[in-house]
Amino acid sequence: MNGGLGRLKALVVDWTLTALFLLMIEFLVISFSGRRGPTGLLVTPEETLDLLHYGWIALGALVLTLGWQLVKSPVGMSTGWAAVYGDDSEESMPWTHTVRGWFAALLIELTFLTGWLITEVQLVTFLTQFNKATDIVRGLVNPSADVLHQGLVLLVQTVFLAFMATAFAIPIAFALSFFAARNLTRGTWLSRLMYTIVRAAMNITRSVEPLVWALIFISWVGIGPFAGVLALWVHSVAALVKLYSEQIESIDHGPVEAITATGASTLQVLRYGVVPQVIPPFLSFTIYRWDINVRMSTIIGFVGGGGIGYILKPRVDLGQWGEVGTLVILIAITVWAMDIISAKIRERIV
Amino acid sequence: MSHEAVRVEGLSKIFDPDVRALTDVDLTVEEGEFLVVIGLSGSGKSTLLRCINRLIDPTEGRIWLFGEEMTGAEGARLRRLRTQIGMIFQQFNLVKRHTVQTNVLSGSLGRSSLLGTLLLRYSEEEQAQARAALERVGLGGRGRSRADRLSGGQQQRVAVARALMQEPRLILADEPVASLDPALRHSVMRHIEALNREEGMTVVCTLHDVDLIQRYATRLVALRDGRLVYEGRPDEFDADTFRDIYGTDAEPATSQLFGTDGEEATA
Ligand SMILES: Nc1ncnc2c1ncn2[C@@H]1O[C@H](COP(=O)(O)OP(=O)(O)OP(=O)(O)O)[C@@H](O)[C@H]1O
Ligand SMILES: [Mg+2]
Repeated sequence: MNGGLGRLKALVVDWTLTALFLLMIEFLVISFSGRRGPTGLLVTPEETLDLLHYGWIALGALVLTLGWQLVKSPVGMSTGWAAVYGDDSEESMPWTHTVRGWFAALLIELTFLTGWLITEVQLVTFLTQFNKATDIVRGLVNPSADVLHQGLVLLVQTVFLAFMATAFAIPIAFALSFFAARNLTRGTWLSRLMYTIVRAAMNITRSVEPLVWALIFISWVGIGPFAGVLALWVHSVAALVKLYSEQIESIDHGPVEAITATGASTLQVLRYGVVPQVIPPFLSFTIYRWDINVRMSTIIGFVGGGGIGYILKPRVDLGQWGEVGTLVILIAITVWAMDIISAKIRERIV
Repeated sequence: MSHEAVRVEGLSKIFDPDVRALTDVDLTVEEGEFLVVIGLSGSGKSTLLRCINRLIDPTEGRIWLFGEEMTGAEGARLRRLRTQIGMIFQQFNLVKRHTVQTNVLSGSLGRSSLLGTLLLRYSEEEQAQARAALERVGLGGRGRSRADRLSGGQQQRVAVARALMQEPRLILADEPVASLDPALRHSVMRHIEALNREEGMTVVCTLHDVDLIQRYATRLVALRDGRLVYEGRPDEFDADTFRDIYGTDAEPATSQLFGTDGEEATA
């Protein structure tokens, strides 16, 4: 073995490893220190970098590594050492004995720590300052009756908003889903093109949040429940096409073959060979979608899309916690009831 | 040529990436025949049948149906040719959630009006014809049941009624009784035989059981590894030919198939 060079390499690897360790420990100390940066928040990543003492850490690591190696032989069983000892079995070593394993572990640790810093996690505050929120909680458990009537009216609007969005979504999603099913679009280049276009359009549509769609439709048709209907409608179409087409892709092809063999046309094959197989799951998905839409329609009013969120938002801003409490309870009851009803119906269908 | 139901010339099928399912098959089926196709699992029987009605597109070769070329036909012409070929499957392939009656009616899809069939509406004559077809297979009165409520044997008889409703000139039956209780096999086979004898439909049928082959076939062909390796009459078909066709690997199966069951059938 080329002892000299190998030893040097091993030393560098071990040293780097130790330095990274110390760096990580300093990160930990900083993040738990509760120090605040100039923004009044916890230290920002830039400030953290300023606070890190690379030089000292490097020196400390060097001393530590050398000291450790004097007392206890190699630090990390690193690649370097494996080379020195002529040992190629590193592949089969447990991760704690390999440099790569340690780096992976370090990376996970550091990602977590960075997240901790960036999202300004404040464990101590969380655990000790509950009393500041007691006002709200007191409001929530002492709901005010003032807003009950208006709340109930808008609650009905919320449920219908979700219903209309779902109802409008069904025929379009139904028609599109046949083009978005791989097994039905293998035939011609035209159908393959349709598949690609529909899939792409739906993926893009689905990735835009309903609240953003609401903003778009509010400028289009004005503030009010109809903008909310349209926002949830667009999102539901995209979501349903995905669910529907996956269902179509999993059908039994036997009936399709049998109907094709009678000399039936494409529409007839779809009507007899495909539709009967997918109707029950489609119904189930649709009801589930309505359920989700009710949840979404409670907050679509936050941006002006109608429904109960429309009166909830200003009361939150003004801190009228009693009235907020009433509305939150109404929402909770509705969502809970919808959940049970939709589960019951879906159980029946499948 | 006018008496040929099917003529197959140089038929080959290669599935992606390169599974040779059929290699250079030549075959002629005369009108009125009950032709049985045999061969080991994977020898290409289903592929051959599906090529004839173009559920699978052949890689090479040409196929004629009653003198008209099937290969190359597209769109409306292909559909019209398909209406002349009824198909019966091992797994019945009924529309499970439709009624028995609607399943039988679906045999007429190729000739009924598009809008009506999409709404599941059929004329009174068609309804009556479907009921008569059900009657023929011994299921009169079961028309309103949902198809998946029926037993396997009954479902296959519904499939036979669907083929009857279609009024084809040729029937392709792909292992029509393989997923049925042995005791029920004759009940289904007899109905297919009736299509052949009484309706004058030509039948091409794949089968595995020796007793059924000897009982129903008027002629026999065998496939091995996608090639046509044997042709003969069922009464010439014995343990030796069986061994020839299936190879010595099938020895245990041979003795099994030509056990007591087979002898009874020949006797
Ligand atoms: N859609 C397909 N894609 C790829 N290969 C296929 C396809 N269909 C059949 N094959 C292959 O073609 C060969 C012949 O299959 P085929 O189903 O025709 O055999 P078979 O004689 O009907 O067998 P069995 O008695 O099991 O029904 C097999 O090797 C099979 O794996
Ligand atoms: Mg087969």
